[in-house]
Amino acid sequence: MIVTYNWLKEFVDFQYAPQELCDQLTMVGLEVDALEEIGGNLDSVIVAKLESVEQHPDADRLTVCQVNNGTEVVQVVCGATNHKTGDLIALAQPGSVLPGDFKIKKSKIRGQVSQGMLCSEKELALAEDSPGIMILPSGLTLGQPVFEALGLKDFQIEIGLTPNRPDCLSVVGVAREVAALCGQKLKLPVSQISEAADSIEQQASVVIENSEGCPRYAARMIKNIKIGPSPDWMVRRLEAVGMRSINNVVDVTNYVMMELGHPLHAFDFRFLQDQKIVVKSAQQGEKFKTLDNQEHSLTADDLMICDGQQSVALAGVMGGLDSEVKDNTDTILLEAAYFKPTMIRRTSKRYGLHTESSHRFERGADIDMIPVALDRAASLIAELAGGQVLSGIIDSYPRQLDPVILEISAKKAKSLLDIPVDCDNIKQLFESIGLQTQTGNCSDCLQVKVPSFRPDIEREVDLIEEVARLYGYDQIPVTMPVGTVDAQLPPLRQLLQKTLRQTIVAAGFSEAMNYSFVAADSLEKIGVTAADSRSVQVKILNPLSEDQSVMRTSLVPSLLETVARNLNYRSSDLSLFELRPIFLTQPENGQSVEPLSLTAVMSGQREPEGWSQSSAAVDFYDIKGVVEKILTKVNIDNVSFDANFSQPYLHPGKSCRLMFGNQLLGFLGEIHPEVLTRFSIDQPVYIFELDVENIIATAGKYAQFKPLSRFPDVKRDSALLLDESISADQVMDIVNRSKIRFVESATIFDLYTGKGVPAGKKSLAIRVCYRDLEKTLTEVEVSKSHDKLIRSLCHLLGAEIR
Amino acid sequence: MKERLQQLQDDSLLALQQAGDLKALQGVRVQVLGKKGTLTEVMKGMRDLAAEERPAIGSLVNTLKTQFEDSFVARQLELQQQDIAAKLANEKIDVTLPGRKNTPGSLHPVTLVTDEVIEIFSRLGFAVAEGPEIEQDFYNFEALNIPKDHPARDMQDTFYISDDRVLRTHTSPVQIRTMMKHKPPIRIIAPGTVYRRDSDITHSPMFHQVEGFLVDDRVTFGDLKGVLTHFLNEFFGAGHRVRFRPSFFPFTEPSAEVDIECVICGGSGCRVCGKTGWLEILGCGMIDPEVFKSVNYDAEKYSGFAFGMGLERMAMLKYGVNDLRLFFENDLRFLKQF
Repeated sequence: MIVTYNWLKEFVDFQYAPQELCDQLTMVGLEVDALEEIGGNLDSVIVAKLESVEQHPDADRLTVCQVNNGTEVVQVVCGATNHKTGDLIALAQPGSVLPGDFKIKKSKIRGQVSQGMLCSEKELALAEDSPGIMILPSGLTLGQPVFEALGLKDFQIEIGLTPNRPDCLSVVGVAREVAALCGQKLKLPVSQISEAADSIEQQASVVIENSEGCPRYAARMIKNIKIGPSPDWMVRRLEAVGMRSINNVVDVTNYVMMELGHPLHAFDFRFLQDQKIVVKSAQQGEKFKTLDNQEHSLTADDLMICDGQQSVALAGVMGGLDSEVKDNTDTILLEAAYFKPTMIRRTSKRYGLHTESSHRFERGADIDMIPVALDRAASLIAELAGGQVLSGIIDSYPRQLDPVILEISAKKAKSLLDIPVDCDNIKQLFESIGLQTQTGNCSDCLQVKVPSFRPDIEREVDLIEEVARLYGYDQIPVTMPVGTVDAQLPPLRQLLQKTLRQTIVAAGFSEAMNYSFVAADSLEKIGVTAADSRSVQVKILNPLSEDQSVMRTSLVPSLLETVARNLNYRSSDLSLFELRPIFLTQPENGQSVEPLSLTAVMSGQREPEGWSQSSAAVDFYDIKGVVEKILTKVNIDNVSFDANFSQPYLHPGKSCRLMFGNQLLGFLGEIHPEVLTRFSIDQPVYIFELDVENIIATAGKYAQFKPLSRFPDVKRDSALLLDESISADQVMDIVNRSKIRFVESATIFDLYTGKGVPAGKKSLAIRVCYRDLEKTLTEVEVSKSHDKLIRSLCHLLGAEIR
Repeated sequence: MKERLQQLQDDSLLALQQAGDLKALQGVRVQVLGKKGTLTEVMKGMRDLAAEERPAIGSLVNTLKTQFEDSFVARQLELQQQDIAAKLANEKIDVTLPGRKNTPGSLHPVTLVTDEVIEIFSRLGFAVAEGPEIEQDFYNFEALNIPKDHPARDMQDTFYISDDRVLRTHTSPVQIRTMMKHKPPIRIIAPGTVYRRDSDITHSPMFHQVEGFLVDDRVTFGDLKGVLTHFLNEFFGAGHRVRFRPSFFPFTEPSAEVDIECVICGGSGCRVCGKTGWLEILGCGMIDPEVFKSVNYDAEKYSGFAFGMGLERMAMLKYGVNDLRLFFENDLRFLKQF
């Protein structure tokens, strides 16, 4: 909503400077988004007088003018023909920047010095076209800025209105708030109409068939008008508030809407068949062409303005093409009505027709403003377009809206807002914005009659808000709440998310955040087929683009795209992760669930190549190490890395799933080379995906303390000759489960194949650490345990000692 | 005998001084105090002395022995220090070469800011709650006093999953879900991902918000001002002016927007604050009785406030990020800066 400073001044006598006014409005809830001075940067265009006009010695079409700017006489070369000695003109002095970034400089034109330019209306953006330079009315002060001298100086104030304040969708509405701010009275425009002898009742009639949709419909008629352009002042005002001038009649309806907030519509009376208006619901499937030349297929929910035969306007939204005001229109029927907000909103949404009119009706117009707006428009049309206003007004008002009467308790306002107000204070505040009050049902209460222009005030709490707003939010004290706080352990889910993030960041990964919506075919790109439950994606009905049309069921495609993008940016050593929900559909009931997934990718060199280390590419064991570190941090042990599975986007030989008993915790491995090709990635990428929900279900809440031995450990190394097919896990499993006495820990410290090891075999060296809590172990005790361990490895795995 | 001892002493002390390294020094010690050492021999010969000579000579021998050992230790220390000094002189490195380090990872700036906001409110007794991102129309709109066909719905362009399911447009539905489960007193902070159908240089279709609310008996608008002013002082540092001005949200009444004096220019007006000197940071208000009605709270007994803020905006102000789109492009050069 745009209003101007001078227009506001017509309705309230205030002293605020423009910026101050804006600050005040912002602080009462009418947030000013922009303040712009009209002609603000044209102060160097001044009133000047032509002392002489002579033919340019070397150019037929130019004149050389001596111009008095109030302090001196300067020479200006001019190409116009409509000026003469003695005229007052608009002189753009050197240094001026005219609209369109047109810079004025001192120059020489065909040998003659020119110190500025004589401006036309067009050059000052005061008219769309102008035949010659602007000749100013006589009597203006020389040297004064032209905009100031002509009274054109004004300020555009753009207000970002919240949807609860339809009353401020007009200059008068904003002026009412200004009046309350400065304690002045609001002056409404007064309309004087000299009515013609014949009355509207004899010429036309109004029938409301759908009074729920249209509780009030009023009309006036004006005949013998002459359609033409509007006067400059009106064109400028409309332009200042963001509207284009059409013709004098349409401009008046728009002007009154901007001024009083009530939308109006003018019908060409010739095209109202049977000389009547009928307000009723549309026929289902009816076709109607609005004045923007769009045809719509209507529904029975649309409210229509019809004549005796057919629809002529989409009520409250837009008029019809056939009955709009034309150049030869001579009689108009002027409509002012009230339409039910929700009906207008639905119709406006249905056809994508958002107009100044629908904007106001759907937020709630002022039903009492109808006759005022109608008279204001009729008098302006009679003034600007000639014609006679027929006597009388048709005012069909079948459903009187009951005035809203509310009670406010001063005590309640006081305790909610923590401010010292009583009934008298509240009464004073309310009256400043036109809320009438009287003593309420208790000593501490006020009864408030809510005016029809404030449809947002429906309950006591709405009145309390008005108290706060008018009292001033900045006057309310700053306190801290007293009260109790429930003590509880923070949920494990939150703690673990934090632990997971911290651990993976400590492992060198950077957190990424991709959009939750992806292209529908992103799963195909990683080879996930329709048989996979992840292929059931939640679709967005109104996506911004096809690339963002379904909710992702895997973080893998997004992260691979992130890898590809970073490779393009020449970042080739990557460790990235996302910890975000995926959007799955439960097969049993079709409900969507949002489990968290922790997915991480690793690619490139382990460490950047440097003076002290050569580069080495990351491999499966790097990503596995990160997974192991995470599991330790969330206190999960006894997991198995199970290669006996398949995942379409993973390398079949370098991948596994992570199991805790029968519980699937995730996957890890190298991305399948074919998938990499599809993402245009030309270096191996390793990935792991953890099902965070299962991790949370499995995780130990806290680390559990194990007592420390104060006695020395003894280490024994053995190299085992094993079949190549025996996995490290099988060996460690036996070590861990054999329950041999004194074993504290065991590690694999060497893996060897080649010279000295028969084909089909491998040498695996393990180091076992023995220790007891109670005593120093003897050589005999350690040997006994170690021999037993080696025997069971030989027996169970066919191992030999090398 | 005395002279012999004196000579022996002089010779041995000289030998200690002449020993050029620790090995030679050890050799001198063996020569003097070893099994067949010169002083050892003297001590062995004591039994051949006359009884009256023994105490004087014995005492002298002991003194000499002590003197020798003290000198040995002193010379040993001297030689050790020489050794270390020589060694250090040979061990000079270029300290300007870059250090070896684990490449550090990084949290996303939105996560960092989220954690910080949670931490500040945790100290005020707020607990964290979460809710789904695919939300029912009821929780996202209806229960928050935003009926269908209400212009307030225009404030948030919505992605629809079906007629009655949406991608949540704000974290406010967590208010409803939490209040339906718990009775007052209640202090909750709810961070989360939200979606609006809007994409341009200053709008991302996915972004993050934190919602907070407090319900108890006797909660006032002053308390709302107090808690949020405290929060802003902890987040941006004390000393920035804060202002509350009237606004509108369907689920609060009275409603307010909170501005903080521009943290970039200190209020004198700059590009970031649009020359106003103020930054719009938070939306808030006293919880509307309609909302209490939809969660079966007694609006006569309880009052409360709620607030919400955009986390990308907080991160932009905190870290000086000038382009919203950077948050979701995941350029490692960006992510590594935090």
